[in-house]
Amino acid sequence: MATLFGIPLAALSGQLLLGLINGAFYAILSLGLALIFGMLNIINFAHGAQFMMGAFVAWLSLTYLGLGYWWALLLAPLVVGIVGIIIERTMLCRLYKLDHLYGLLFTFGISLLIEGFFRQLYGVSGMPYAVPEILTGGLDLGILYAPIYRLWVVAASVVVCIGVWLAVDKTRLGAYLRAATENPTLVRTFGINVPVLITLTYGIGVALAGFAGVLAAPIYSVNPLMGSNLIIVVFAVVVIGGMGSILGSVVTGFGLGILEGLTKVIYPEASSTVIFLVMAFVLLVKPAGLFGKETGGAAQADNGHARSERGNLKTLGIPLAVLLAVFAVAPFAVYPIFLMKALCFAMFACAFNLMIGYGGLLSFGHAAFFGMASYISAYTAKQWGFNPELSILAAALVSGGLGAAIGGLAIRRQGIYFSMITLALAQMVYFFCLQAPFTNGEDGIQSVPRGHLFGLIDLSSDMTMYYFVLAMFALVYLAIVRIVHSPFGRVLSAVKGNEPRAVSLGYEANRYKFMLFVFSATLAGVAGATKALALQLASLTDVFWSMSGEVVLMSLIGGLGTLLGPVVGAFFITGLQNYLAQFGAWVTIIQGLVFIICVLVFRRGIVGEIQGWSSDLMKRSGKLNAGASHGESKLSTPPA
Amino acid sequence: MPDTSDLLVISDLHGHYGESHVLHGMNLSVRAGEVVTLLGRNGAGKTSTLRAIIGILGQREGSIRVSGTETIRLPSERIARLGIALCPEERGIFSSLTVAENLRLPPRLKAGGYTDEEVYGLFPRLLERASSQGTKLSGGEQQMLAIARIIRTGANILLLDEPTEGLAPVIVKQIAEVILSLKQRGFTILLVEQNFRFAAKVADRHYVVEHGKVVDEVAASDVTRRMPEIQAYLGV
Ligand SMILES: Nc1ncnc2c1ncn2[C@@H]1O[C@H](COP(=O)(O)OP(=O)(O)OP(=O)(O)O)[C@@H](O)[C@H]1O
Ligand SMILES: [Mg+2]
Repeated sequence: MATLFGIPLAALSGQLLLGLINGAFYAILSLGLALIFGMLNIINFAHGAQFMMGAFVAWLSLTYLGLGYWWALLLAPLVVGIVGIIIERTMLCRLYKLDHLYGLLFTFGISLLIEGFFRQLYGVSGMPYAVPEILTGGLDLGILYAPIYRLWVVAASVVVCIGVWLAVDKTRLGAYLRAATENPTLVRTFGINVPVLITLTYGIGVALAGFAGVLAAPIYSVNPLMGSNLIIVVFAVVVIGGMGSILGSVVTGFGLGILEGLTKVIYPEASSTVIFLVMAFVLLVKPAGLFGKETGGAAQADNGHARSERGNLKTLGIPLAVLLAVFAVAPFAVYPIFLMKALCFAMFACAFNLMIGYGGLLSFGHAAFFGMASYISAYTAKQWGFNPELSILAAALVSGGLGAAIGGLAIRRQGIYFSMITLALAQMVYFFCLQAPFTNGEDGIQSVPRGHLFGLIDLSSDMTMYYFVLAMFALVYLAIVRIVHSPFGRVLSAVKGNEPRAVSLGYEANRYKFMLFVFSATLAGVAGATKALALQLASLTDVFWSMSGEVVLMSLIGGLGTLLGPVVGAFFITGLQNYLAQFGAWVTIIQGLVFIICVLVFRRGIVGEIQGWSSDLMKRSGKLNAGASHGESKLSTPPA
Repeated sequence: MPDTSDLLVISDLHGHYGESHVLHGMNLSVRAGEVVTLLGRNGAGKTSTLRAIIGILGQREGSIRVSGTETIRLPSERIARLGIALCPEERGIFSSLTVAENLRLPPRLKAGGYTDEEVYGLFPRLLERASSQGTKLSGGEQQMLAIARIIRTGANILLLDEPTEGLAPVIVKQIAEVILSLKQRGFTILLVEQNFRFAAKVADRHYVVEHGKVVDEVAASDVTRRMPEIQAYLGV
């Protein structure tokens, strides 16, 4: 048998073909993302869900309408595109003037909604979709036997990619698109209807995802989760390529697919993480990406996502005391296990919120710290017999270290790139946890002993454990308050308010952000570790991307950038989950809806809204007073 | 008083950028075939007036009538289709488009625009550089391109924002010739200028803008007589 460097050529070329196929999907999806980003300035998180939707349209139209593969290739992009256009026209278009992060959050909500919807209807087991008759069988290419369908997928996607590139680069509509990407306002003054162009772009971008979904249907089974993991890899691809050029994203997509295929032959364990590693490397040597132009994305001045910290200063000491008092008596009324869980998530959300509220950076990867810490404390407590305080300390140190590694890479980019990078790196941590033996894979670490605090206090009763968790919460909360009010916190506020100015004053903005990130990761670790002990379980759920999404949601609904908001949000979401637990995928659907509603109409969150109202009231009464005194002073002026 | 031959009539125009109020009741009108300038110091509100006319100033109130149609509530693309086009102060050449693509970008709105041959006849440099990247052109060439692309669409009202800014005297002279030939062809032009010598050469009338308001109007025939006043307005 022919070999190359001791690897059978057949295996090598077989994996290369598989890699090429993955590359084809990366290319089509990142192409769509780049198109949409160019026009809308939004990272379409729903892209994976729309890809899945394409596959489902194919399956549904075959099952219920008897329409085969070729019809599906036409129908799916159309359906997905039209749904996309409706979403854009009714909701997405309201977000263009806001911080880009809201677009990310909104489309994340959409993706949860779509995914939850299909999961509710069709479960997660996946439905087979047959290869169309004329594409069955294979070709013997000498060194390998290649299934015709796979060759078709590669050919079809190459044609589509080149087609899109030609359309954008050579046609009149393409010229409109490129011009509007650069300067939409000026393009409008020429009589070109840019809003329609934007809608069309979104429609076409997601239609491409739908098309890829149909191509994928016969290869992977049709299942509601097929898009969400893929999209994270595609984010990494986009970060690697940079979104500057169409051809760049296509080349990067195919290239990385092939690289992944090669890795599968040479070192299979790394095949699921190799793209993330490449991303880390590219961030180190060329942060803007291989084909990227740094579009001055640094420090967007619009920071609508965070309330001013000053508003919170006043409302700070009292709530904590009241909060602790309420929590102290709560377990007599509410199930302590639930309370512990909610408190752990409250800690987690507070830690996450530190990053967005004071660093202006939205991390979509905080599950990595929470989950990793949860494994470490569970493992050290169970296998090494660490006391709770020791296992939490160990976990916090590990997650702090992890935070240093991830933060060091991620803060090289700003805004949505930061979010995508943290998400991708966290996915790498997830794959590590999936494969590393100490985590027990799918089973997780169960029956974690709660142990004796300082070797003295037995935490095995829920009540005692509850008060320990409450103490941890108070500790974390106070630590955050301390940071926010330290000189360090004030510098951070300055950096966040106006980064260029802070930099010109001599602050190294990135160093401060890095320190903040490590701190936030450490506290997220404390939360995860405490959770593992309290619920006696560490599992893959803790480290999965959906956990990162949940913590974002908690902070968003409570009020991004408020101190108390994450606590409120954590209780709200944990309660919701508890209540909806028996309804399966409804949890996801509702979470998606909450995301969407929050972003559209409730951006300040519960606590933010309340603070807003009260400060409005204060302002109004202040104005009245001012008016009154003004009037008085006028009255008392002696007549001339 | 505006009469029926007025193509563009602005009355009591107010404009804002977010919180800041920059136009405070502009009044002006331009007759068909006229070249009219807006003169004024930096920050007087000249650019903002042009942006308001074409509909890209965030907030505007008052009245702007283009060929008799009220445009104060129309979106920019609808206003443009009434036959009005802007050559912006920063020129706005697209870097991801070639020179030829930049030139052909604005769609034809009406009959009567320059044909491609006429455009290239007026600006031969653009033909030579047709396939290079738009922003690779020199400043003067970019200015030519910015003018060229709006005269072929059939728009009959041109808003030119400081077309001579930062350009060498020979180029300024060429641009003056271009504007005169546009005038001869019947275009109506509202020109913002800091270079008064240039403005005096091409314009029929001048409006003086101060603090977001028209404070004076000078006919071309009065320019020599009122020179000291004008110099005082412009602070030269
Ligand atoms: N994007 C903006 N946001 C806020 N204020 C602005 C903006 N653009 C201009 N201004 C303000 O509006 C006022 C009028 O500006 P405008 O650009 O219309 O002046 P101009 O007469 O064209 O000046 P110049 O001769 O310097 O071009 C100025 O005070 C300016 O500071
Ligand atoms: Mg100006």
